[in-house]
Amino acid sequence: MASNDPERREEEEAGETAAGEDEDTGAQIAPIVRLEEVAVTTGEEDEGVLLDLKAKLYRFDKEGNQWKERGTGSVKILKHKETGKVRLVMRQVKTLKICANHLILPSIKLQEHAGNDKSCVWHATDFSDGELKDETFCIRFGSVDNCKLFMETVEKQAEAAGKKEEKESKEADSAAGELDKLSVGETKVEEKAKEEAPTAADEKESDSTETKAA
Amino acid sequence: MALPNQQQVDYPSFKLVIVGDGGTGKTTFVKRHLTGEFEKKYEPTIGVEVHPLDFHTNCGKIRFYCWDTAGQEKFGGLRDGYYIHGQCAIIMFDVTARLTYKNVPTWHRDLCRVCENIPIVLCGNKIDVKNRQVKAKMVTFHRKKNLQYYEISAKSNYNFEKPFLYLARKLAGDQNLHFVESPALAPPEVQIDLAQQQLHEQELAAAAAQPLPDDDDESLD
Repeated sequence: MASNDPERREEEEAGETAAGEDEDTGAQIAPIVRLEEVAVTTGEEDEGVLLDLKAKLYRFDKEGNQWKERGTGSVKILKHKETGKVRLVMRQVKTLKICANHLILPSIKLQEHAGNDKSCVWHATDFSDGELKDETFCIRFGSVDNCKLFMETVEKQAEAAGKKEEKESKEADSAAGELDKLSVGETKVEEKAKEEAPTAADEKESDSTETKAA
Repeated sequence: MALPNQQQVDYPSFKLVIVGDGGTGKTTFVKRHLTGEFEKKYEPTIGVEVHPLDFHTNCGKIRFYCWDTAGQEKFGGLRDGYYIHGQCAIIMFDVTARLTYKNVPTWHRDLCRVCENIPIVLCGNKIDVKNRQVKAKMVTFHRKKNLQYYEISAKSNYNFEKPFLYLARKLAGDQNLHFVESPALAPPEVQIDLAQQQLHEQELAAAAAQPLPDDDDESLD
């Protein structure tokens, strides 16, 4: 029933649009493939979520010297339950495709975007497509607070990753030091082995680290 | 159906033909799905461009080979050749340009002459623009010809996944098919040397000074 009242008419129109949204007006067509339901793996099963925020991601197009949209969705900082590795994973809303997937390395440097205090930029070696690519990213949040929270979380995890790396290399160093003492003793006996000693020590080093860890 | 020189995949793939007047947003819509970007600049498509577009569903991975065709008559080329073996289609018009809707029946007729009984989605694009010329109520063609209709915006991403979801459901005959997370594989370790890092930091500073292309925070609340 049509109404002459312009306001009523607008309401009716809006109502019709909303109802028509998911109404199937398409013809009945015989399907051309038969698909079986499969188990879904997100690849995030063994990770804990440290942060999950809505955001919009951009990548820097060097050739055009401009930012280009990459996707809108939820950005997550995930920590692996066994290896302790931390990564950033972002998925596009609705299609759930990956728009960013990279490790949080100690070398990561976040920087505020000059013209927008809700956004920050960084560089990463991204693995979204299943191959490593150098990307410069910019992410924008709905609020300044969310941006701060993101930056703090990433920086904290980068620092933790740095400490972990340092600890591991110290352990390796001290193991190598002990090996050196051993090899000094050996060279006295066999002078010829002098030049080969570093290589031998390297090999032994990795062996002894493994023993230590075990 | 893929082009002869296009790699074949071991999961279901479909030839999707996208037609409609020039400037209605066919290429922008496909690009949006491919890379996430929104291209404002208009560069007419010459002939046809074929882009593989993958989706992960609860029934496994599927691929649409999107045949993004020239809308402008003068760049049209071999129309029937593009349509042949099409398994599904999108007809696009621009809700801010009445003529593009008026031309929908011609696109539909041409398409159906080559592709019989395929699922077709009619898309009214650019619904983010304030002064639309073709109101939702005025769109009736899909009811006459039994097409599915979606109002979309390649700019705001409104309903941007719906045409693909609808076509996938029809092609598989499964109303419950839906998109799922694609597996986020563990990124391999990378070694970055000092020189590389310094270069990245320089680039970062330059990039941080470039403005972002849009400033719409609506979707982020």
